[in-house]
Amino acid sequence: MNHMLYRRRRIRNRFFLALSIAASLFGLGWLALILGTLVSQGAGGMGTALFTLMTPPPGSNGGLANAILGSAVMSAIAVIVGTPIGILAGTWLAEYGRHTPFAFVVRFVNDILLSAPSILVGLFVYEIFVLQMGHFSAIAGAAALAVLVVPIVVRTTENMLLLVPNTLREAAIALGTPRSMVIRIVTWRAARAGMITGILLAIARISGETAPLLFTALNNQFWSTNLNAPMASLPAVIFQFAMSPYEDWHRLAWAGALLITIAVLSLSVIARVLESRGARP
Amino acid sequence: MNDTAHTAIGTRINIRDLSFFYGDTQALKNVSVPLYDRKVTAFIGPSGCGKSTLLRVVNRIYELYPNQRATGEVIFDGKNILDSSMDPNLLRARIGMVFQKPTPFPMTIYDNIAYGIKLFERLPRSELDTRVEHALKRAALWNEVKDKLRDSGLSLSGGQQQRLCIARSVATKPEVILLDEPCSALDPISTAKIEELIDELANEYTIVIVTHNMQQASRVSDYTAFMFLGELIEFGTTEKLFTSPVNRRTEDYITGRFG
Repeated sequence: MNHMLYRRRRIRNRFFLALSIAASLFGLGWLALILGTLVSQGAGGMGTALFTLMTPPPGSNGGLANAILGSAVMSAIAVIVGTPIGILAGTWLAEYGRHTPFAFVVRFVNDILLSAPSILVGLFVYEIFVLQMGHFSAIAGAAALAVLVVPIVVRTTENMLLLVPNTLREAAIALGTPRSMVIRIVTWRAARAGMITGILLAIARISGETAPLLFTALNNQFWSTNLNAPMASLPAVIFQFAMSPYEDWHRLAWAGALLITIAVLSLSVIARVLESRGARP
Repeated sequence: MNDTAHTAIGTRINIRDLSFFYGDTQALKNVSVPLYDRKVTAFIGPSGCGKSTLLRVVNRIYELYPNQRATGEVIFDGKNILDSSMDPNLLRARIGMVFQKPTPFPMTIYDNIAYGIKLFERLPRSELDTRVEHALKRAALWNEVKDKLRDSGLSLSGGQQQRLCIARSVATKPEVILLDEPCSALDPISTAKIEELIDELANEYTIVIVTHNMQQASRVSDYTAFMFLGELIEFGTTEKLFTSPVNRRTEDYITGRFG
């Protein structure tokens, strides 16, 4: 009788294990398919021209140099602006606010911001920035991206700081350390790897965003470093070229998509490596 | 009130009528006990009796948490440390604390020690080196780490980490050292080393140790206080308390009949 019970349990165990494996393979399969398509379609467009030539009119040779530059510039500004705000806010939540009602509100709003559709962020910046200035600009694009960076960094910073054991804070305070120094010298240091991971994830997130840029930085087919003028970006160019009927534009769109994917993938890998290193005792 | 009366010769800290509350729960009930100068005072008692709470009042570290408050007096150097006029950081520089779990900072062994010194003193490099070396020697750790001062403090074993924390405490030249179950996470050999160290340190510092381990209390302390349910049941010389306790509950506890 007992034997029967055990056998039935074992069969059930195998059945559900098989189901879980099948589900994982199903999910991974699509990912593999996407990556495979990207590589096969995009690899042909790779080459030095991609990094040196500007986005072309249909029918002529070109690359994505201006879009790569635009993405890099706007992402960099967004990170430079958004990261300090995110780290300071996350630190306040974890170290000072914690259980105060105001911290609860900030946390709640931040969570909403975290999951807000990015197109809304684009419209918001359009409303308060682009309309006031009267024209699209790179700085407006960077602002939209910064709004996306902040909640991610706030969230990861707070979570990572909460992982730092309270005993470590107490130990520093027991030596007579003022609170601000405990944070700077002990808790930030203990949470550093995780906090950097959060910043990298934020970069990965914004480097693929199209919607917030369409209303802000728009696009630009020329090489431009003017922050007060429209600027090209990889996602916007991919959007424009992929929607077009031209074969050569399609090829560039694929190449751009592959480029972003490689960049995001390497960032994620670096983030994971840092994370596992930080978790080591 | 005459403050000098509380700091009669030999008494480093005088705790008078101390009560402590976690929200509505009272954890200490009118505890009065002296902590004698350059003596080791042990606090024993079953879990939840308030002995760690008492320790956390002495350097006011309980203040970090909302809803915790203390009433009464803790007289140190003629002043009530519970007074809001007392600067908690300066107080903590004079009253060091070592915790149950070793808490090395995420930095090098050298920096772990130098950190506390640099908080309150500006020293030339060579003098800082001397102070770090002295502290590590004081904690009987120097020989084990002198060739790897640049390694992370986290790379040491548990027992070494705890001695590092003691060295860190000693380096800032406090007057009192609070030890909150410093050996409960350590193996017997490391425990023996730390106990030896406590013996050593008692020549210079006033030491207060909270411990679950009665043998440890009897080995390292000069005075012992037995606490139960937030009350101080009995206080006296360790020898007296362990051989001829006055209170029935003390006797029951030290003979292992409860707790």
